[in-house]
Amino acid sequence: MDLVVSTSAVVPASVVVPLAGAALMAGFSWLLPRWARDLIAIAVALATTTLTLILIAASAGHPMIYWFSGWRPSGGMVIGIDYAVCPLGAGMASLAGVLASAALVYCWRYFDSARGRHHALVLIFLAASVDFCLTGDLFNLFVAFELVAVTAFALTGYNAGHPAPLQGAINFAVTNSLGGMSVLMGVGFLYARTGSLNLAQIGQALAGRHADGLIVVAFALLTGGFLVKAAVVPFHFWLPDAYGSAPIPVCVLFAGVMSELGLFAVIRVWDTVFSGLAGGSGPRMRAVLLGFGILTAVVGAVMALAQIQLKRMLAFVTMSHLGIYLIGVGLLTPLGLAGASLLVIGDGLAKSALFLGVGVVQHQRASVSEIKLRGSGRGLAVTGVTIVLGALVLAGLPPYVSSAGHALLVDAADQAGLPWVEIVIALSVILSSGAVLRAAGRIWLGWGDSESSRPDTGTADDPGEEAEDRSDTADADGKLGANGLTGVDRDQDGRERSGRLRRVPLTMVLPPLALLAIGLGLGLTSGIEEHAAAAFSDRAAYAAAVLGTHGGSIPTGGRVVVPASPAASAGGVLTDLGQVLAALCVAGIALDRRAVALRRALAAGTGWLRRLHSGLVGDQVTWLAAGLALLAALSEAALH
Amino acid sequence: MSVLAYGVVAWLFLVGIYGVVTSRNLIHLVVCLSVAQSATDILLLEIGYRTGGHAPVFVSLPAHPGPAVDAVMQALALTDVVVGAAVTALLLALAVQVHKRAGTLDPDALRATRD
Amino acid sequence: MSRRARLVFFAAAAAALAVTLGAGLAGLPSFGSQITSYARMLNELAPRQRHVTDVVSAISFDYRGIDTLFEEFILLSAVTGISVLLRPLSDETRQLPEDKVPDRTIPPPSPAVWLLAVFLSSLLVLTGLETVTHGQLTPGGGFQGGVILASALYVVYLGTSYVTVERFEPAPLLEASDGVGASGYVFIGLLGLLAGAGFLSNVVGLGVTGNVISGGTIPLLNLVVGVEVAGGFAILASEFLDQTAVIRPRRR
Repeated sequence: MDLVVSTSAVVPASVVVPLAGAALMAGFSWLLPRWARDLIAIAVALATTTLTLILIAASAGHPMIYWFSGWRPSGGMVIGIDYAVCPLGAGMASLAGVLASAALVYCWRYFDSARGRHHALVLIFLAASVDFCLTGDLFNLFVAFELVAVTAFALTGYNAGHPAPLQGAINFAVTNSLGGMSVLMGVGFLYARTGSLNLAQIGQALAGRHADGLIVVAFALLTGGFLVKAAVVPFHFWLPDAYGSAPIPVCVLFAGVMSELGLFAVIRVWDTVFSGLAGGSGPRMRAVLLGFGILTAVVGAVMALAQIQLKRMLAFVTMSHLGIYLIGVGLLTPLGLAGASLLVIGDGLAKSALFLGVGVVQHQRASVSEIKLRGSGRGLAVTGVTIVLGALVLAGLPPYVSSAGHALLVDAADQAGLPWVEIVIALSVILSSGAVLRAAGRIWLGWGDSESSRPDTGTADDPGEEAEDRSDTADADGKLGANGLTGVDRDQDGRERSGRLRRVPLTMVLPPLALLAIGLGLGLTSGIEEHAAAAFSDRAAYAAAVLGTHGGSIPTGGRVVVPASPAASAGGVLTDLGQVLAALCVAGIALDRRAVALRRALAAGTGWLRRLHSGLVGDQVTWLAAGLALLAALSEAALH
Repeated sequence: MSVLAYGVVAWLFLVGIYGVVTSRNLIHLVVCLSVAQSATDILLLEIGYRTGGHAPVFVSLPAHPGPAVDAVMQALALTDVVVGAAVTALLLALAVQVHKRAGTLDPDALRATRD
Repeated sequence: MSRRARLVFFAAAAAALAVTLGAGLAGLPSFGSQITSYARMLNELAPRQRHVTDVVSAISFDYRGIDTLFEEFILLSAVTGISVLLRPLSDETRQLPEDKVPDRTIPPPSPAVWLLAVFLSSLLVLTGLETVTHGQLTPGGGFQGGVILASALYVVYLGTSYVTVERFEPAPLLEASDGVGASGYVFIGLLGLLAGAGFLSNVVGLGVTGNVISGGTIPLLNLVVGVEVAGGFAILASEFLDQTAVIRPRRR
């Protein structure tokens, strides 16, 4: 692989296009009719996706460095800000683009807001995600982090008419703000020590040095802040609150892209800045990251089983998979990273399809409670198939791209001498997919109890969490926007109450199917494993390319070695099928009336874990403070 | 002098978080969050400070101006202030709606999202 | 957790976090001892290369201009988000403020208050414009000046009435200025691309140091950011004002 300095206009265009679109949408959408707003937003999102796909192709084999404002480094010192485009980053940016486009298509006439503000926010979210994935400057990474966060806070609280989304947004905003502050303090510490804000230059300055207190704390603060975004235990408590109450198209963006960005930052910062420290050891840092990952995966899976609110259940499923990605990333090998990135893509598409499917159910049946929806899946067959398929993909159904990623991850764990990790991953995946399949079985087949086996039914009875005030029918003049239909029961949001007679719009049914189809297509693409590795594992070459100390392009290390024995891949397929079957069995046990005693016992046994998730912001911030301190202590042990 | 200067940063951050954790009023919570935010601003500015230095503005300087302080850190602090203002404004808007919908501003009384 | 348990847990966590921060802060160079060579280099280069006297502006809008672009969009997102969060919902309606006593209009403010408001708001507008346009010479710039400009709106509201404010600053104008500001920054950046250099390069004539028009694209970006920030904060003000003064539950 060669690193080149690029002046191609595609690189800045990938952020300029969505930003310009968002600015025009925010300022001038009152000039446009509603169909034009939707169309322009979708077009801008698709254009951004195309640009990032071009970047993947352009940077495969030779990652590109692009300097903004024309400021090249001089005298070995970086002056301006650069983008360092590699296939991994461009791939994540493309995923963001695909999911944003799907969410915007799904939104067609979903948000009846009088102006295009929601579209502007989604496009800014997209632009910030692209910047996050491509940037080579540490402070620019922080600014993109905060921009993703601010747009996310605003989008979460969209259903401002009910307490749950508002509380979810507050918890989200407070904890992620503190995460951002933590990142900024880490940036300040690193700048004070190394005199630069450029990732490559900082890495160069730290290479070969011993990690003293300042560097350890800088690492802990940076990584801790990013792990808040990535919803890793114990920084995760905001995630079910936010995902459980945000509007569905927004959940798609969050589940598929936002939290994965946090993990991307962790590995990017580790790779380019901290991996060259002398005396720091791979195996101990690996143990720290793996510990957090395993904890997150297991807690997420167990909590997912305990949920009856569908969005909250999917939130915990998302969290569990984030733990699995952290396991892959935390192995600190290119193979592990490759596996994790394929999983991110495949699972991101599947999770988004699941959320969109739940959205259709919510739209038609006005509820997201598994118990209340029991048996009411008649007439929503396509959505049922989508949800079941999505859950099976998450369980590792071959030949989806997720199963390819899972195979790479298992190989990486074997190579690192940790084969038992595979069992943990399998367990989490089986439990979380089993939860979704249980819900599908209850809703579409009418199996299972009509009451929850838990002594407290929690929030499922609150009317607020079911309704979505997505039609703000009062515009500037205070007139109702969508009246005139007679003979139909109306609730206070102006929606029709009886949804059974209404057809589901195609714009809501097709996007999840399209996402699953993309996942299948990618999985059938041969050789995708080889392209999935990160390009910046050779830190010295990256630094040399950025600082310009070598003219022209610099050859770096070889590609990722992917074991390709047919026996191994057949074994992998069998394991994946076994996981899928096990997930179906878990769902079956969960629905079987004869297993009531077992379920009651499990519910009682995990009650303490559920009570910890109190939804109170004071608790969540306390856990955050404790988590930062814990991470610092562990990093001290790992880096010394 | 260093101890006091840098100790202020740690103190402000911890006091701000303490305020957030023990708050009974959302407006108070938002202000405590901005106290913690100011700790990060102060850290940046202190890293960039030079004793006896003047602001990085090169106009109407005295005859022997001495060194200038770090302008990069000041630019970063400016950005941080804008970010903090944006988040504060969003949180206050959320607080307004919470008060209308849930009838309370006590964060510990908000029970809409729990298991 | 009960409040007691939370407090105990937090005390332990805060102590550990204090130790952590202390360990990190202890590794910093002694307070006031030196600045990084990157900062020293920029302090020397910026006045010469960009013909500006305020190096912070040069860093914000030129050397690290892409950061400021995203920072501007953070403000835009926050303002857009707030106008989404505080929008009148389906069970609310907008009603102009009226006196509680029937058959009486709200009495206008006294002439003294009105005169003070006119004087203060004019002063604020002038100060804001001065801050925005002189950002490349002295501390100031688009962000700071924009906030001062927006505060003129508050003073107008305090000294007059809601109706006057609505007439002065109609919502479409504010939103348009927000959009113009944000897209203006992007388009100035594109100038660089069109001229064949990188995005956001300084390709306009640099002018003479010390003049108001100096620094190439820096004063242009200052202006554009000033427009955006002023529009944004004015929208903020009118949204919060609407919530208190105008939005009421819809009576059935």
